[in-house]
Order: sequence, then structure tokens, then C-alpha cells
Amino acid sequence: MFGLIGHSTSFDDAKRKALELGYDHIAEGDLDVWCSAPPQLVEHVEVVSPDGKSIQGAYIDSCFVPEMLSRFKTARRKVLNAMELAQKKGINITALGGFTSIIFENFNLLQHQHVRNTMLEWERFTTGNTHTAWVICRQLEINAPAIGIDLKKARVAVVGATGDIGSAVCRWLSKRTGVAELFLVARQQKPLLDLQVELQGGKILGLEEALPEADVVVWVASMPRTLEIDASKLKQPCLMIDGGYPKNLDSKLDGSGVHVLKGGIVEFFTDIGWNMMQLAEMEIPQRQMFACFAEAMLLEFENCHTNFSWGRNNITLEKMDFIGEASVRRGFSTLNLKSQLQAAAA
Amino acid sequence: MPTLQLTEVAELKDQSFSSTDLPDFTASAYKDAYSRINAIVIEGEQEAHDNYMAIGTLIPGQAEELKKLARMELKHMRGFTACGKNLGVAPDMVFAKEFFSSLHGNFQKALAAGKLTTCFLIQAILIEAFAISAYNVYIRVADPFAKKITEGVVQDEYLHLNYGQEWLKSNLDSCKDELFKANKENLPLIKSMLDQVASDASELHMDKEELMEEFMIAYQDSLTEIGLTNREMARMASAAVV
Repeated sequence: MFGLIGHSTSFDDAKRKALELGYDHIAEGDLDVWCSAPPQLVEHVEVVSPDGKSIQGAYIDSCFVPEMLSRFKTARRKVLNAMELAQKKGINITALGGFTSIIFENFNLLQHQHVRNTMLEWERFTTGNTHTAWVICRQLEINAPAIGIDLKKARVAVVGATGDIGSAVCRWLSKRTGVAELFLVARQQKPLLDLQVELQGGKILGLEEALPEADVVVWVASMPRTLEIDASKLKQPCLMIDGGYPKNLDSKLDGSGVHVLKGGIVEFFTDIGWNMMQLAEMEIPQRQMFACFAEAMLLEFENCHTNFSWGRNNITLEKMDFIGEASVRRGFSTLNLKSQLQAAAA
Repeated sequence: MPTLQLTEVAELKDQSFSSTDLPDFTASAYKDAYSRINAIVIEGEQEAHDNYMAIGTLIPGQAEELKKLARMELKHMRGFTACGKNLGVAPDMVFAKEFFSSLHGNFQKALAAGKLTTCFLIQAILIEAFAISAYNVYIRVADPFAKKITEGVVQDEYLHLNYGQEWLKSNLDSCKDELFKANKENLPLIKSMLDQVASDASELHMDKEELMEEFMIAYQDSLTEIGLTNREMARMASAAVV
């Protein structure tokens, strides 16, 4: 069985959803009630791949909402409790969706392996970052040419280049895609220099310098609070892939030669009988999902019960090949511009 | 000029939990609060002992098994008594008896009427979940002596819970109505007990929010174990909102 740990995008959404599911006691509660609410296994689902293989899964809502981000202890408990529930339910491989993996990493939850009478088995969990990175790369390779950008001549800025997903994207773009120039953008210099050495290339630039020069911008960083983008200073055409969480590249940027694409989203070839993706405000919730969730499904399909994506900077090209090949074979395709989905296969 | 929506992610910092976040076990405010919390725990274990012995009279075939459980609860009581002594705190037993009086009264009423389901709900679900949740939170902020004792107790308590659960599980079809009714009457008592103890618990660095969450997790685990559906559990839990 595969598992997905997710949460609502806002407190209001969470309350609405709880009411629909019959959890009146928390639906009517204030944020304090939600802070005390245990995680819920809200849905079981069956997924069948094009070749007829059937797998079972479960969706766990951690009862976390982004309004709890400032309450560090609460956020930590929500993530650990949801992981404990997944393990107690005997789920083989569970993806940490939305803020879950961000909280796990930033609050250093590796040191909290013991939850009540459960020792968390890390091999049962995946951040799903390998699949997310692969999907973002494929989205770039498919959509940039579609709007007239020649990849061989393209300059690509990766914002958040030293992160887990960002560094994997850089690796792929420099070794596989063969773009003309790679701009590495991140806050800390030391990891940037290390990455440059590893890649044997790439230009370290500040965001302000990189943006006007880039044909494609891949965002996998959290946005600085005060950041503003002047669309008139961007190249025309320009492809912006919003691979961060939450997806908050303003849609107003879209148009006049600037194309914004939600990064790291995939679509399954047929409807899945679940309600869970409405929580994530997908355009086609019966088919679309975060690539990190799909990674848990793929690992279950492939009987690969291991923490495939874990820690930082462990995503290799071989791993991306493995998950990418499985993704295509098991009926997933990448989300593309104007909702025109194309086969992700090269 | 378009502006990127703000996100708080950028504000997330590495805030690893520090084990130095422990209270001063020698402070008079700590000891004062401890005199009540410790008493509640001691009284809770005594009640558990008495309740399991009493349930044994309703199902004589299981009396021996229940007696074993009851003895274990007494062992726990002695352990917690030692925790108080270790800190030089005299437990306020008058307060603790009063604290449990409503729940105690409801149990005695159910016992007299031979209502086994209600007895199990009060003892094996509510009191046990209340105890486990409090112990789980306490372990994280206890003094080293009490921490060790409490860890041992928690292991036992996880075993205990199963007995009452097993009975309710195998009798679920016939006992569901009584279970819902008894829950509606008694879950609010647990909620108000938590409220009552919140400020003393906070003195011991036990957050009310965390206590409530731990309780709801233990409570939900029990209800899942006895075979209730998500909707039925939600209906049960809604009794906490009064």
C-alpha cells in the first residue's frame, strides 16, 4: 500500500473539507482545536496502471494548515503524528506532500525518530523530490521549444539551485538537456560553489542579474517576502516554471510573452476515484497531482519499498532515469502549458 | 508591477528542539503544581485498580485476568508515589479525589446497573487514553527519575488498553448504542478535567494543546481498534465539543 500525507491549503479550506467529511467537531473549531486535532486517514483509493497492475493507497490529512507555520512545536507534531499514523497503518511507502517535507527538513525531524511507542522507519517515507525534479526537467524540455525557445541556445536560471530539487534539476539540465548556459541562484555562497564544482560549470548569479538574462526560469526556492518581478524586464518569450510550494508565482505574470507553468505536477491517464486532490486545488483533481505523491505510487507499482528520495543532494541522474521511466510506463504525463498534455516520453 | 504572493516558508528556520527546555524541578511553583498533578496520577492509578476489580465482579470468568491488570495499576501507583517523594512533594489527595469524582460517580452508577459497556468505556477507553496521553507528554519534560518510571508505565498501559478494547470489539454490535450514550455523557468530563489541570500542567511544561492532541490520538486509536468507522469516530469525538 502507498500513502500520501497532505494538508489543506488554508484554514478555511480545511474547515470546509472537514464539514464535507463529517468531522463536524473540528470543522467548527477554531485554530486551537485544529492544533489539537489528530491526523486522519480520510480516504482509501485503488489505482490501476495502463498495463493492468492494481495498487491500493491511503490519503492521510495531517490536520496541519499553513496558518500553523509560526507555531513550530505544533507543526512538528502534525508531521510526526501523521508519519506515525502512516506507519501504524502498515503503509509501505508514503510521500510527504506540501509543507510536510519542508517542515521535516527545516525543523530537523530526523532527530525525532521515536514517536510515542513507535520508532519511525525512515525507509517507509519519501520526499518524492526525485520525481518532482524529473518532472520539472521534462516540463522544461517539452514547453520551452513549444513557445519558441531553442534549448541549445537557451539560458536557464535555477532559483534555489542548491536545494534538493534544485541541484537535481541543475545536474539533469547540464548533463542531459544540454542548455546553452545555466545560472545558479541561491542565497548561500558555499553550497553554490560546491555545486559549480560538481557540475563543472554553471554561472553563479544574483536573482536581479539572472532574471533579465534568462529564457527559462525554474523556481524551486521559497520566495523572499518582498520580491517583486518586473515583467517588462524579462525576456520575450520567457518560460517560468513554478516548482516551489506553495505555487505562488502570480498568474498576472502570465501573458505578453511570459509563460507561467505550474511545476512538478503530473496527470494520470485516467480518472482516479478520489476526492483528495480537490484539497490541493488541482485543475483536474480526478487526474492531476503533485509529482511527489505520484512517486509513492510509482514506488509501490515497482515494489520499490525504500526511502527513494531522502535527505539532501542524494538525487542522481540514475535515480531520475528510474523514476522517469516508471512514470511514463505507469501512465503519468507532465502538466504542460495551456493544459495541453503531451506524452512526457522523449 | 506584479508582486509575488508572500509565503511564510522563507521564515522557517532550523528550530531543532532543545532538550534544555526542561522546567526547574526544585522551584516552589513547580512543586506546588506537582502536588496536584502527582496526586491526580496516583488517584488515577488507584481508580484504575478499583475499576478493574469491580469489572471483574460483572464478568467472573475474566476476574483473574482483570485482577492481574488491577495489580499492575497498583504497581504504577507506587511508582508515581515514589516520583513525588523523590522531589519532596506531598500529593494533594483531597484535590485528586474531587478531580475524579464525577467520573468516579458515573462509573459506580454504571457498575450498580450492570452496564459493562459503560464501565469499559470509562475505564478502558477514557481513563486509559487520558493517562497515556498525559504520560506521553510528561515523559518529554519529566525529571530523570520520573521519566524512567513513566516510560515503564506507558509500556504497560499500552497493553492494558487492549483488554477493554477486545471486549468492546467482540461485543460491538450489541453494545454500540450504549457506547455512544456513555461517551456522550463522559467525554465532556475528560475535556473539563483537561481544562481544570491546564495551568498546573503548564507549570510542568506540558502544553494543553499537546495534551488534548495526545488524548485525541489515543482515544481515536482505541475507537479504531474496536472497529468504529471514521464517521462513527467523528460522531463520538464531537461529544467533546460542548
